[in-house]
Amino acid sequence: MKFSYSWLTEHLKTNAHFEEIEKKLTSIGLEVEDIQDTGKAYKDFIVGQVLEEKKHPNADKLKLCKVDIGKEKVDVVCGAPNVEKGMKVVYAPVGSTIPVNQMKIKAAKIRGVESYGMMCSEYELGISNEHDGIIRLEEKETIGRPFSEIYGLNDIVIEIGITPNRQDCLGVKGIARDLASAGMGELLERKISKEKGSFKSPIKIEIQDNKICSAFAGRYFKNVKNTESPEWLKNKLKSIGLRPISALVDITNFVMYDENRPLHVYDADKINGKIIVRAANDGESFQALDEKDYHLKNGMCVIADEKKVLGLGGIMGGESTGCSTETKNVLLESALFDEINTAKTGRNLSILSDARYRFERGIDPNSTLKGIDLATQLILEICGGECSEVELAGNIKENKNEVSTSSSYISRRLGFEVSDKELISILSSLGIKTSQTGDVIKCSIPSWRQDIHGEADISEEVIRIKGYENIPTSNIRLKTKINKNILNYAQKKLMKARHFIASIEYDELVTFSFTDSKNCEVFGDINKLKIVNPISEELDILRPNLLPNLLQAIKKNKNRNFDSFSIFEIGSQYRSTSPEDQLNVACGIKSGIKTEKSWKNMQTEFDIYDVKQDLTSLIDYLMPGNKKISVSNDCPSWYHPGRSGSIKINNSVIAGYFGELHPRVANQFKIKNKTNIFELYLDELPNTEKKTTNKPVLNLSDFQIVTRDFAFVIDKKVKSEEVVTSAFKVDKELIRNVEIFDLFEDDSLGKDKKSIAIKVTLQSNEKTLAENDISEISSKIIESVEKSTSGTVRS
Amino acid sequence: MKDFRELETEIKKASDKFTDIESINEFRIKFLGKKGIISLEMKELASLSGDERKQNAEKLNKIKDSVLEIIASKTEELNSEELEKKLNSETLDITLSTSKSYGTIHPISQVIEEVITIFGDLDFFVAEGPEVETDYNNFTALNTSEHHPARQMHDTFYVETETDGMPNVLRTHTSPVQIRSMLKQKPPIRLIAPGKTFRCDNDQTHSPMFHQVEGLVIDQESNMSHLKGCLEIFLKTFFETDKLNMRFRPSHFPFTEPSAEVDIGYTKKGNQLIIGEGEDWLEILGCGMVHPNVLENVNINSNEYQGYAFGMGIERLAMLKYGISDLRTFFDSDLRWNKHYGFSPLNIPSIIGDLS
Repeated sequence: MKFSYSWLTEHLKTNAHFEEIEKKLTSIGLEVEDIQDTGKAYKDFIVGQVLEEKKHPNADKLKLCKVDIGKEKVDVVCGAPNVEKGMKVVYAPVGSTIPVNQMKIKAAKIRGVESYGMMCSEYELGISNEHDGIIRLEEKETIGRPFSEIYGLNDIVIEIGITPNRQDCLGVKGIARDLASAGMGELLERKISKEKGSFKSPIKIEIQDNKICSAFAGRYFKNVKNTESPEWLKNKLKSIGLRPISALVDITNFVMYDENRPLHVYDADKINGKIIVRAANDGESFQALDEKDYHLKNGMCVIADEKKVLGLGGIMGGESTGCSTETKNVLLESALFDEINTAKTGRNLSILSDARYRFERGIDPNSTLKGIDLATQLILEICGGECSEVELAGNIKENKNEVSTSSSYISRRLGFEVSDKELISILSSLGIKTSQTGDVIKCSIPSWRQDIHGEADISEEVIRIKGYENIPTSNIRLKTKINKNILNYAQKKLMKARHFIASIEYDELVTFSFTDSKNCEVFGDINKLKIVNPISEELDILRPNLLPNLLQAIKKNKNRNFDSFSIFEIGSQYRSTSPEDQLNVACGIKSGIKTEKSWKNMQTEFDIYDVKQDLTSLIDYLMPGNKKISVSNDCPSWYHPGRSGSIKINNSVIAGYFGELHPRVANQFKIKNKTNIFELYLDELPNTEKKTTNKPVLNLSDFQIVTRDFAFVIDKKVKSEEVVTSAFKVDKELIRNVEIFDLFEDDSLGKDKKSIAIKVTLQSNEKTLAENDISEISSKIIESVEKSTSGTVRS
Repeated sequence: MKDFRELETEIKKASDKFTDIESINEFRIKFLGKKGIISLEMKELASLSGDERKQNAEKLNKIKDSVLEIIASKTEELNSEELEKKLNSETLDITLSTSKSYGTIHPISQVIEEVITIFGDLDFFVAEGPEVETDYNNFTALNTSEHHPARQMHDTFYVETETDGMPNVLRTHTSPVQIRSMLKQKPPIRLIAPGKTFRCDNDQTHSPMFHQVEGLVIDQESNMSHLKGCLEIFLKTFFETDKLNMRFRPSHFPFTEPSAEVDIGYTKKGNQLIIGEGEDWLEILGCGMVHPNVLENVNINSNEYQGYAFGMGIERLAMLKYGISDLRTFFDSDLRWNKHYGFSPLNIPSIIGDLS
């Protein structure tokens, strides 16, 4: 909401400095967003008159002018098509700054001719978008007069943010009222003469649906002249960025910004019969003042006559009854439209208007007739003519909001003592009448404050006027804890996973929860993930998997010349767009160069064993203690079928996957390098929260450790893990470890055969193992491995 | 009695010629070996008697000791020479190096962990809710009815699923976690809820996805002064400053009454933002006393219980604290940015150690 300081002082008698008012506005909740001292910005611009105008010798489109600026006559080169001899213009002297682009005017040679200063268009002065020519001032203007006086720009324009609850401050008067409540002066009442009207309005008004419009006041004016508005009115509107149109329209705008009372004027000669306020029917349409056609839906509030729709109640009038300079007879409307209906209609048709903005926030019902009176006074003064009596349909319901409260309630909520006396005095400064019975203070809320419904609202009024800076600061540390845990097991798991993964060289990314459905068919059912109003086509679904965005990140960084990637994200992916159909996943990618070629190392590339190691050590970190981890080949379709594995914990749940990205998916994302991925479904990990802080009992053996190596030739198809497990199970006590230390594939071993060499570590808790103990267990190991792998030991 | 002078001379002569370990060995064999001179002399002692044997034995033992000492000291001497030689040949170019790298923690995660650490110390637990929410939890239960103008300021994303006839939304703020938590738990309540939030807005200063942290305290006495105290501790600890100019301004949120916005003072020194001092104000968060209607919506008696709530943007906190100038870079996945602004995985925020 914009207003000028001079406009404010028409409603507020104050001795306060402007700076005080500025501070107070913010401190009572009318946050100052911008201040423009237009007097300052326009102080250098003055009225000049073009004395001579001739063609520039070196440029067709430029003209050489001699301009009289009072104290001297200067040469100005001008490119405006409308410049002519005798014209009064706005002159910007050397040294002044052009508001629109902050360009400083210098004396300069333009195509070889000296030019001192510039003649300005409205656009250049930042007043409007008019840039077809320079401003033509009225003949009567005095040469040398400051331009800001003519346009009423010698003022301070203040822009404040109005929160949705403060509908009462959408007019300058409301702002003045709130400032007066906060001790910034005295509210002045505008003197409005109450015209009775000399005849009955020939246009009757009928409200068919009083839910969407509870009251409609109309007044007929005959023989008006819809001229240009007087200077004071035009300047007022210009100062807050509104374009003057014609007196009738300007008057309604003025009343809206002054009193927060939207009005409308109809060209009465274009109304057929009576005015009917009713709900629209599907299929009706009309052309609004913005020259667009709107197709209406059932229930929207329309103002119609007996033939057609004239306007959308509380939102926008129609083109057909708009006022022009020819308009002679008009109907002035001041009505009360329903907030919700106005909001719905406006949203539905995407019409933003000052009227809608006000009606959907709630209008003071008492402004209905006041608005008519103020507008009447101005119309008669400016446009002449005669007015009818006011024709009122419906009821202007008095808003009788009453709230009971007490100083103890207010004190308890605000955190400091507020006495009955102080409470009552603050409330009365806001126009809230009170009556006290015992501790209870009954408050009658004035009609302009539609946001005060309960005690809590009263507490806000009190602190707002008293000042938020007066709230004391209290300690919040408690003597006894109320929460056993700050983070629960699942939350700790996420945090631990994040730090662990980053510690093994991955960089954490945070990508959007949306992604492009075009790349996602392989990852999930994209039809279940649609966003109705996506920000762009490329972000049209919730991500079914973390991979698509991470793969895109790889692609982007590849273009930035990265050739080694270790990236991860921990976040939610979605199965559908139902609430809670989301799961927590950690997804890591290692791709490209693992070790750079250097004086020490050969260049190596990441492979699936890197991500497998990362995944299993992550699981180990998150689930310390005994568990059985097994891998199998059943991976989802975004993995390379032969180079991927799923990880199962304790033979029950699949907790994650690792492997190479399927070449087809890689291709879709235009990634050429092998991309090694792991995914860990964090919610699936069994809860292994510590039940005791004790570690398991530690049994140490002091007897000698013996190792024996074995090599087996087995089918390539047989998993090497089989060799390890079948060796292990021979003696769970004596065999401490089994490790594969060599893998060898060669045709000399036989077709589709491989050799696996294992190192078995043996140790007894009771004795030093003798040679015969060792050979006994060795032959059992050979037997067991040969049996379960159908392989043969190599001797 | 025998005179061993000759033997001593011979020993001295021989001991001057050591060149390596081998010559020491020869020396040892010559004098102390089975057939060595001293060993033979020792054997001869048996044939002597009485005092002479005793005196000779004494002398011989002394000589034997001196030989052993020569062997020990010469061996040591030679070994060190040997080592010195070896060391001189064993040099590496220490200007060569290899490197070990860690990954990085994203600034969003870092700031969320810092916030959790500070509020955890104040006994706030971490609550959560889903990112797709019901219209009811996101708006209606928070005292924001269907046509409330505040709804339009939220630029809501809608999805195709519905709950109770209303389309579900991507939550526009973390406040619905208040509703979920209060339905689950009776007062006293102290919680924070960090998480992702979404608004259909995308420009220089808006991202369609961003992060917030919500705070909620409900008990029998918490009031505006506690809210002020709470935010003061938080902001001072978070920005790691003892000085903090803080300003409460009236504002409006449908779910709090009174509502406030909080500004903190700052100054600019060159390109640096100094938080806490100075007369310029930066808006940092919104807060207020929980509206009685919200409490009633979750079946908490608003006559008995009251409390406060606050919400702030994680990205904004991160930008101000760490000097990150562009909101959109957080989600741009430019690895140069991540490596520059990211944090070491070993820096877990702590109240006793370092927060950042």
